[in-house]
Amino acid sequence: MDTDNKDNPNPTILNASDLPTRQRDAHAAKRPSLFDALTQDAYPNYATTDLSSPEASDDSDSESDPREEIDEQEIYDLISTISDPEHPTSLASLAVVNLPDIFITRPASSTSRLSTVTVLLTPTTAHCSLGTVIGLAVRVRLEQALPPRFRIDVQLKEGTHTTADAVNKQLADKERVAAAMENGTLVGVIRNMLATCE
Amino acid sequence: MSDIQQYLYEVDKHKAAAKDVAQNSARKLESKELKLINLITDLEPYINAKDDAGRRSNSIAYLADVLDAVSPRVLSGQERRLLVDFILNRLESDTEGTGSSARALLALERLGKWDSTLAQRVLQTFADHANPLKQFKLQSERYAILQLIDLLMAKYRTALQSLHDSDQNLLPSFIALFEGEKDPRNLMIVFSVLQVPLAEWDVHAYARDLFDAVFNYFPITFKPPPDDPYGITAQDLKDRLKGCIAASGECAPYAFPALLDKLDSTAMNTKRDVLHTIQACVVSYEPKTVNLYSVTLWDALKFEILAAQEEDLVNEALKALALIATAFSTGMDGPLTAYLRPIVKECNEHLEDAPTTQSRAAGRILHAVSSAAPVVADRIVKGILPTLFTLFKSSESIAKRRGLIEVLNEILKAYIDMHASGDALIVEELKSHSSDALEVMLRAAVSAPKAEVSFRLASLNGLVQLTAIPKLLSDEEVERTVDAVTDMVLNEHTTGHGDIRGEAIAALTEMAHTVPQTVRSKAIPAMMVDLPDSPSDDTSYRATLEALARLSTETEIFDTIVVRLKSRLNAARHHQASMSYQHALLLALLYAFTYGSPLQEDGAVRSSYFGDYAEPPLALIKEAAPESRDSAETEIVGRITNILLRSQTPHYQSTVYRTSLQWLIDEQRTKCASVQSLAPLSLHYFAALRPEVVEPTDVHNLLKTLGNLLLDGTNTDASTSVLLRHITLLINKFLPAKSMQASLQDAELDVTRLLTSSPTQQQIHISLAITKALILLGKTSALTSTYLHLLLDLLPTASAPTARAFATLLAPDALLSKANHCAISPLHKQRTFALLTQPLLASLKIAEPSKKQPYLLALAGILQHIPYTVLQPSLPELVPPLLQVLDLPTSQSTAQDVKPPILAILEAALLHDPDTLSEHASSLISRLLTCASPPPKPKPVSAASQPTVTPSTTTAPPPVNSAAVRAKALQCLTLLPTHLKREVVLPFRRQIIRKLVPSLDDSKRSVRTEAVKCRGAWMGMEEEAAE
Repeated sequence: MDTDNKDNPNPTILNASDLPTRQRDAHAAKRPSLFDALTQDAYPNYATTDLSSPEASDDSDSESDPREEIDEQEIYDLISTISDPEHPTSLASLAVVNLPDIFITRPASSTSRLSTVTVLLTPTTAHCSLGTVIGLAVRVRLEQALPPRFRIDVQLKEGTHTTADAVNKQLADKERVAAAMENGTLVGVIRNMLATCE
Repeated sequence: MSDIQQYLYEVDKHKAAAKDVAQNSARKLESKELKLINLITDLEPYINAKDDAGRRSNSIAYLADVLDAVSPRVLSGQERRLLVDFILNRLESDTEGTGSSARALLALERLGKWDSTLAQRVLQTFADHANPLKQFKLQSERYAILQLIDLLMAKYRTALQSLHDSDQNLLPSFIALFEGEKDPRNLMIVFSVLQVPLAEWDVHAYARDLFDAVFNYFPITFKPPPDDPYGITAQDLKDRLKGCIAASGECAPYAFPALLDKLDSTAMNTKRDVLHTIQACVVSYEPKTVNLYSVTLWDALKFEILAAQEEDLVNEALKALALIATAFSTGMDGPLTAYLRPIVKECNEHLEDAPTTQSRAAGRILHAVSSAAPVVADRIVKGILPTLFTLFKSSESIAKRRGLIEVLNEILKAYIDMHASGDALIVEELKSHSSDALEVMLRAAVSAPKAEVSFRLASLNGLVQLTAIPKLLSDEEVERTVDAVTDMVLNEHTTGHGDIRGEAIAALTEMAHTVPQTVRSKAIPAMMVDLPDSPSDDTSYRATLEALARLSTETEIFDTIVVRLKSRLNAARHHQASMSYQHALLLALLYAFTYGSPLQEDGAVRSSYFGDYAEPPLALIKEAAPESRDSAETEIVGRITNILLRSQTPHYQSTVYRTSLQWLIDEQRTKCASVQSLAPLSLHYFAALRPEVVEPTDVHNLLKTLGNLLLDGTNTDASTSVLLRHITLLINKFLPAKSMQASLQDAELDVTRLLTSSPTQQQIHISLAITKALILLGKTSALTSTYLHLLLDLLPTASAPTARAFATLLAPDALLSKANHCAISPLHKQRTFALLTQPLLASLKIAEPSKKQPYLLALAGILQHIPYTVLQPSLPELVPPLLQVLDLPTSQSTAQDVKPPILAILEAALLHDPDTLSEHASSLISRLLTCASPPPKPKPVSAASQPTVTPSTTTAPPPVNSAAVRAKALQCLTLLPTHLKREVVLPFRRQIIRKLVPSLDDSKRSVRTEAVKCRGAWMGMEEEAAE
């Protein structure tokens, strides 16, 4: 990683407020009123639960709420904070990772539990030599963070890179990925990229 | 033996004894037992001892010690003069004891001032014969000489300067004198001595030598030893060195190139020192000198900003650029133009490919330089804005336009900063572009696609700044801006991404500060239109009402808002609008008085607000029949009363108590049915009153009624809570500590009585409320301790909720505060912790496993409110029960409540005292994993037949811990690899990584996030091991 010779020394950077987040997409109906805090004291009320009914289960803790499924935004949040190997900036603000380019395919049949996550990456320049490294980092991150019922598919987006096919082949080849992760230098680079992930 | 003989005998072995000898001689001189001439004669053989350098040196030390001890007026002027001559003459031929000679001269100078010639001669002698000082190996010897020179510089400055003027050879030898000094104490003096010629003498011919003499020490890398008695820091040295370099513009030809050369260093500290020194030079050199280097400096400094390395270096570089501009801001038109030309050119170039890191950096540069002075800002505007608007108009890219507006905002911010610091702005040039700026920003804010959040926000920010620069926009333009922002607040109903109403309200609030008149006449009436007298549904008005409430944080428009809200409330009542609308209006008023900026008088909220805003709704409550009172409304009015009344004077409160609110006391006394309906009001009202205002019998009666009402047991949940809090508040604030037990007995609220023979739930809760009041009061320790032990005695047979209710004792209650005149003992938590923990731990030790639960719940309830620093010393005993709390069955809701705070304590222990937890690592890990384990996943096929679908039938609650417990347990588990010793946790690594896999698929997103972090932390360990 020769820092003096970056592939793209001055890339366009997205403003943080333009990046998709879950909060902004949350339904407005659930928005708490400004005045709620005025009348709800933080004071816990230990007396009431047992005076009314000792078996009160008022906090069955929304466990009965529907399950929050793993969705595209969650995948995005997992990989958007990965750092670019040549800029101190996240993949999201460089628009390498984009929400519309993440797809989750649910199990095809009711007997299968296997879902597939597909992530399409957009390198900052069409000849970016680091496409493979970024792809590998995204892959490693998802393998660590997703439950085993997900199959992970990371590719460079069609038409964004001069050698996309070759890179994609490499990223899809389990053995080559495993071999790459034996390389100490590469592992170091990827660890640095992932260090900014929460 | 003569004195000198004695002195020489002692000096090498007993310094103190030698000093005594010298003092003795001084005394003899004073009493005329000894004549000066004899003393000198006695000295003669030793001071001239040819073969014994040590002896010569020590004899001078003797002379110095004697002179140091002698009182003023003992020696005549002539004698002193002779002594100086004697010492100086000696120095010319013998440099042994030069340090002592300097001490002797210092002593002589203290005894009587010298004339110029003498001062000049002293300096000349040292410069000629003690040069260089490094020949003296002892630091103390050089230190004495430097002190003497420092004294000469301080007191005989003109004499020395004229010596320099008449003798061109003085300076070179003076500079050479200090060469090679390395001791920090000495260097402190050297730097301050050298600063004098640099700053005051004509040093043109020797500027290079002087500069080199000081710059040799740059950058200072001194690190004081750990037990340094002199307390000299690297920063002290840096400051003095900086002072020297900045002292003379004559050094500029050497200083700037040398500094810029060091700026290329890779060491951040060196860069930092260079930037600070450049700033100092720019401030202190003549502007015409700075002018010669201004463009060179810009060329070097810009890289620190465009290729930012560390944020503080960027800021220092920006500051340096601004200081250069400041130097030229008064009547240096040519230099200013020359300096700004390359800046404007370069920044314009970076604007072309905005938004980039460099266009953002250009914005920062423009802000910093413009802030230097109004005239500079005017020039920058002239140079930048035409290009900026041309680029803006020629591009369709919203990202680019946003980047340009951000740069424009930076420049506008400079105007606002200068205005805030009191500078008279020059807005002529900006004015010629203000219409362009306004149009561009209005269009962006109003018509840009809603999803372009950053673009719209940048424009909104720009609009706020345009309105904040005085005399820039016309009244009509300000009105249009306020209208546009008001429109965003009122009529944008975007939800999710693109919703910038919050920011628009904040913008309007700022405008209310800078252009209050327009906001009052335009924005507020427009918003009031959205608040009908009687709305048809409950959601239409909410957003507007909240916006109005938030605007009340601006003092300028506070009164306008509350007046309007009040009149709307009256109208709503008149039109019999829905209760929820009336409540919302009351809440908006409450919000305004709580978080807004009501006007103050004499350090309290203006008292007339009480009459205007609390009394009318109070009157309505008074008139209503007990059964038709609305408890929500009563509470809101109670809170408004509280906030408006509590800071008023005792006199004012007293009047209210006896007149306008006398009815409340009367009604509570006479009509038992009213007590409950009035309790929310009464609670907040009594919280507001100062203790001295209230009549003791009123409190007594009220307590009795409240107690009876609670024991009666027919209350709803909410009202029980209010009544219990009311009891706590009254006891804490109004009952005298001295006769506490008697008062409680009178009110039938003695805990001893309440808890005799199998008490009911109500009796236990009342007892807890009473004890809580005493704990906070902190003045009835015997009684408090009795009550606490009575409560502890309940535990063996207590139900889980009862044990859990012990948490009441220390739970914070916003009403029980100093602002509400409550008595809050600062040590109440420590005391209660000490009183309760030991008995609970003792009971836990002997209790059978099946009987432990109530003790654990009670203990957890106490600990959850104790600050970590208080429980930290007892941690070793507390860890086992804390871990047992985590074992409590997940089927109980009480156990679910209690686990998160306990996990928080464990988390704090992991962060601050990991060693205490090391020995429990295995049991801690297994419990955390159990707490974290996710609920079983319903099978995708047969989901419909699973019990999750039927939560209404009260079957067993979920057999797992709540999401809050799971997440918190994972957070604790995340800390282990980094906070416990490696060898302790490494054996668990493989197992934990495997067991965390199910948590990656937890049903709650927040838990999954924690699981990813946690697993990452554990996986990170192996990589370290591989290295």
